[in-house]
Amino acid sequence: MSSDQDKSNASVFQVAKAVLAAFIGIRKKSDLESDAANIKPSQVIIGGLIGGVLFVVTILLVVKIIVN
Amino acid sequence: MAAVHGDVHGHGHEDHHPTGIMRWVTTTNHKDIGTMYLWFSLAMFFTGGFLALGIRAELFQPGIQILEPEMFNSFTTLHGLIMVFGAIMPAFVGFANWQVPMMIGAPDMAFARMNLWSFWLLPIAASLLVSSFFVPGGAAAGGWTFYPPLSTQGGLGVDMMIFAVHILGASSIMGAINIITTILNMRAPGMRLMDMPLFVWTWLITAYLLVLVMPVLAGTVTMLLTDRHFGTSFFNAAGGGDPVLFQHIFWFFGHPEVYIMILPAFGIVSEIIPTFSRKPLFGYSSMVYATASIAILSCVVWAHHMFTAGMPTVGQLFFMYATMLIAVPTGVKVFNWTATMWRGAMTFETPMLFAIGFIFLFVIGGFSGVICAIVPIDIQVQDTYYVIAHFHYVLVSGALFALFAGAYYWLPKWTGHMYDETLGKWHFWLSMIFFNLTFFVQHFLGLAGMPRRIPDYALQFADFNMVSSIGAFGFGMSQLLFVYIVIKCIRSKEAAPEKPWDGATTLEWTHLPTPAPYHSFEKPPVFKPVSH
Repeated sequence: MSSDQDKSNASVFQVAKAVLAAFIGIRKKSDLESDAANIKPSQVIIGGLIGGVLFVVTILLVVKIIVN
Repeated sequence: MAAVHGDVHGHGHEDHHPTGIMRWVTTTNHKDIGTMYLWFSLAMFFTGGFLALGIRAELFQPGIQILEPEMFNSFTTLHGLIMVFGAIMPAFVGFANWQVPMMIGAPDMAFARMNLWSFWLLPIAASLLVSSFFVPGGAAAGGWTFYPPLSTQGGLGVDMMIFAVHILGASSIMGAINIITTILNMRAPGMRLMDMPLFVWTWLITAYLLVLVMPVLAGTVTMLLTDRHFGTSFFNAAGGGDPVLFQHIFWFFGHPEVYIMILPAFGIVSEIIPTFSRKPLFGYSSMVYATASIAILSCVVWAHHMFTAGMPTVGQLFFMYATMLIAVPTGVKVFNWTATMWRGAMTFETPMLFAIGFIFLFVIGGFSGVICAIVPIDIQVQDTYYVIAHFHYVLVSGALFALFAGAYYWLPKWTGHMYDETLGKWHFWLSMIFFNLTFFVQHFLGLAGMPRRIPDYALQFADFNMVSSIGAFGFGMSQLLFVYIVIKCIRSKEAAPEKPWDGATTLEWTHLPTPAPYHSFEKPPVFKPVSH
């Protein structure tokens, strides 16, 4: 297992892409390997929580638009 | 399964342990505890099955024949509780106990004594549930969801049920903490998270779901208890409370609970399909991601169980859309399993038959789930047999079929003997036919408007109910065959091949003898990642 110290900080965009891929459930192997090399677990967890909130807000917005 | 470890000498492992009954009372060995979990869940499966047959016997024809309405309601309630908390969940924990340490190259579970404690809580809770039938007022009769005001009104049986749920929740939380710690800290050197077998991954995610939602259930039943005995009014409208509050917090637990019961099933099927297709799992990483995605989504869909309870349109639409989106990662999984089989050198031994049966029937359950998610349809089918058919397609042909698949797959590793393949196939085909006979017709009953949890029904529902009851008795009897196959396998004199499944690639098949020795991986194995 590579420790967190070995990992360089991934960009916000890279974390966002990984989280989005997780939400859909599809990821290319090469992207996965680069995620595993660069992204820290803490970044994925924070990214996942923000992604979860964004997901809920997006559905709420869609619902609001439809209802109005 | 005392005999199964008998011939592990000669593998260079110490296997000193107490014999007789004390072995099982005092053991901290993950295999022994796994065995006890599995036998316990099998016993509970037959207890819950007995209640199911009581229900189906009463519903065989219109009118009240066998069970008084109050007793009928107790049967439906305890059938649900026992199957969910006593059969399906402990069976998966039994699989985790046996398989997780062997699949990650660990010597045992992280907290061995706590592991034993979490098992022994189960028979205590089960005896509370079963004995509640014999107390004044009888067992809880308000449905397995124990909605107030029914559950604030019942007698001692409801208190026994609340206490049992507390105990089962404590057991599940301890089991989950144990599994998380084992997986995160005790993997063989070199095994990264993304090298873990899918079964281990699905259990890791399930364990996090358990830790998240079991305390919510504990809180809910505690509020119910204080409403019943200590003068609070959380769920009592007369005291300023709200019964709908109960439904929200119950289903905030209850919906992730559905995924707690199906994610490890996904894991088992994801081990079996590649083995019998003799190909690596298609899209390993997307399987992991899809499992995580399903777990996250499962926490924001709970109110789809409550569309008829009264909800603003905005709420109905939100939960409808969120629920339908779960079909996306689930579809990814079904696609990956199918793609794994595509052009594989497939053989159809019993584990593979159950795994394919799982995919076929789980998809039907998944589709009827999407149908139920649509608000205008749900308002029509709420509390009808359509919903009963839907969740039995998910939990029987989903979770239970995966458990059978896993049991046949790992029985040679556990016992050192091969099960009877011909009888295994009989078990599969009988289960497949009788399951569909029981539950497919319930879709029609539900669409025609037959309500659930009612001991009597109008004449127009008679024929399909008769078919369903015949199917249920056939299904129940077929499961006796499973018990016979397991006992025959344990008692068999014939040793199983070291690696009966030539497509298997996980550590328990490649690095351990068959049967698995009492103590395995005292020295961590050398793990070489395989390309997924």
